[in-house]
Amino acid sequence: MKTKFDFSRIMKSKITWAVIAELMILLVCLIIRPEFFQISYQESTGMLYGSLIDILNRSSEITIIALGMTLVIALAGTDLSVGALVALSGAMALKLMRWDMSEFPTAGDYSITPMFWVILVALGICALFGSFNGLMIARFGMQPIIATLVLMVAGRGVAQIITNGRQMTTNFAAFKFISQGSVLFLPMPIIITVVIFILMSLLTRKTAFGMFVESVGINPNASRVSGLRSSLIIFTAYLITGLLSGVSGLIYASRIGQNDSNNAGINYELDAILAVVIGGTSMSGGKFSLTGTVIGSIIIRTIITFVYYFGVAAEATMVFRALIVVVVIVLQSEPVREFMGKRRTMRKVAMGGELHG
Amino acid sequence: MKKLTSVLLALVLVLALGATALADDALTVAFSQIGQESDWRTANTDDVCKAIQDAGWNLVYDDAQQKQENQVKALRNFITQGVDYIVFTAIVTTGWDEVLKEVQEAEIPLVLIDRFPETSFADDSWYTTYFGGDFPEEGARAARWIVNYFKSIGRGDEEINIVRLEGTTGADAQVGRSKGFDEEIAKTPNFKIVASQTGNFTGAEGQAVMESFLKSVSKIDVLWAENDNMALGAIEAIKAAGLQPGKDIIIVGCDAVKLAFEAIVNGEMNCTVECTPLMGNRVVEVIKGLEAGETFDKVVHPVEYVYDFVGGIPYTADGAAVTELASEHIAERLY
Repeated sequence: MKTKFDFSRIMKSKITWAVIAELMILLVCLIIRPEFFQISYQESTGMLYGSLIDILNRSSEITIIALGMTLVIALAGTDLSVGALVALSGAMALKLMRWDMSEFPTAGDYSITPMFWVILVALGICALFGSFNGLMIARFGMQPIIATLVLMVAGRGVAQIITNGRQMTTNFAAFKFISQGSVLFLPMPIIITVVIFILMSLLTRKTAFGMFVESVGINPNASRVSGLRSSLIIFTAYLITGLLSGVSGLIYASRIGQNDSNNAGINYELDAILAVVIGGTSMSGGKFSLTGTVIGSIIIRTIITFVYYFGVAAEATMVFRALIVVVVIVLQSEPVREFMGKRRTMRKVAMGGELHG
Repeated sequence: MKKLTSVLLALVLVLALGATALADDALTVAFSQIGQESDWRTANTDDVCKAIQDAGWNLVYDDAQQKQENQVKALRNFITQGVDYIVFTAIVTTGWDEVLKEVQEAEIPLVLIDRFPETSFADDSWYTTYFGGDFPEEGARAARWIVNYFKSIGRGDEEINIVRLEGTTGADAQVGRSKGFDEEIAKTPNFKIVASQTGNFTGAEGQAVMESFLKSVSKIDVLWAENDNMALGAIEAIKAAGLQPGKDIIIVGCDAVKLAFEAIVNGEMNCTVECTPLMGNRVVEVIKGLEAGETFDKVVHPVEYVYDFVGGIPYTADGAAVTELASEHIAERLY
């Protein structure tokens, strides 16, 4: 058995560096203000309460999308339409709940459509748009960036048309539960994220689907020649991403009890791609890591929470975020990882250790 | 529906224009709007378009979808079509010199509403009049309301901690409201801004920022949000922290949209400073005046009020105007 602890291999793994980056940010938080790590039990909501919970809670919208995006990127593609689908899903849900609201925004604790249908139709329409992306790319061979750009632009327009360009509001308890409810003392979005992560892991690691994705991502032609239906796999990946964008959109809309076709999901495509890349999946396709993606998304949210918590000046926020991301990406880059790995090995050799077990 | 109607409307008007070229009796008024970014903007668009149509004029409406280049294109189209008046809301403050010069050369009177573009013209003859909110005054009103409210409940001399949710950094409304608020609150040193961060004018970001404020700031007395959407988002965050919005934390918003009135009536919010989107009547008044050969003051601000949950709190510099009860005005609020 070759289970010997191989330090240099771990140091070369991108995920390791993502974890180290996350720990470093948290360490800075710990040094500046240890209260950052305080977690208490909030009786009125029956939930755990603290900044770390916030990070997990607020990262869920991006994490959920990024899990789908991981497959898309592993297939050497990209999906720019996810942000627009977030807006679309919220618009569809609010429309179904508040169809009666023709005149003015008035929040009410009721829905004119059963919750089951609200969720099903909102997710369904996003899956449909996702499969449209998949069809364009897999069947008609369009460049992913162009095919999804279409919906990136049109999606928000469709959302506007659905809601007549207005923001609808709801206080419907069942809908609010999606973001404000709790299970096992944790906010619902965290639970949803964990469930989706488990499902995606099962799909990619317990079935051959994950292997097919990597195979097609590395070489679509070779995969096709060896009998894989590349187009079906590509189609499925975009469909899943569309569906997951819908889930994310429901969480977003539920948080504010409103559809917000103009602002919902703005820049989500970029954050999701960033999460995937920080998580160690290469933009050129091939091997992917769902765990890495989750860590990537958590890093992004940690940075944002850091900015809010420590009061970085509003004007400097963007630059500060970009700076940290650059550091993280550089830490993960091939030369740096090689260097760190090598140094480790060299020291081992110098100390009289063996190179290989 | 609105998109569709405006497209149809535009089509009809293009056809109508062809007709009016032959028999020119009704005025043609063009309106270049920046896009539908919020409820406030929708109310603004509806009001201006309706007023122009109700006056019996032809309306050419253009929605720029939040892009400056679209607006520049729209203005050039208006010139080509030979419209009689142009009503204009500038999406950003700079970069208008060239196209506005073209408008001036075409001798089409320009009516500015809501946002004022910065130009490098030698004089101000390039526009007829500007009508829009006084953002620094809105910020100052919020500050005065906070100070006067705490005085009215006998806490005027206590240390009061204020957190602020700013609008989109660099936007007219953010810069103005922040400046006005800062200057006014500085007069009472026991009222302090302890944390300030941008919430980008959206409910979701306002909520996330407030969530962090609640953990990083040990004592928050007042939340001042530079628009109502952020205030409404923050209410949820305050509830999640086990506090009562409107009681444990006094919440002041800006814009005075119907949802804010509802929150005030429900006791979850305390005050909202009005920034009216209803500019249609003024636009019609100006155009009618210009037709009759009148001239107008270059900058005019709408008459606006402050609505709250107690009523009677002074909010102007001279202390003459006092707040109105939100519960009494909720029914007439249309947006």
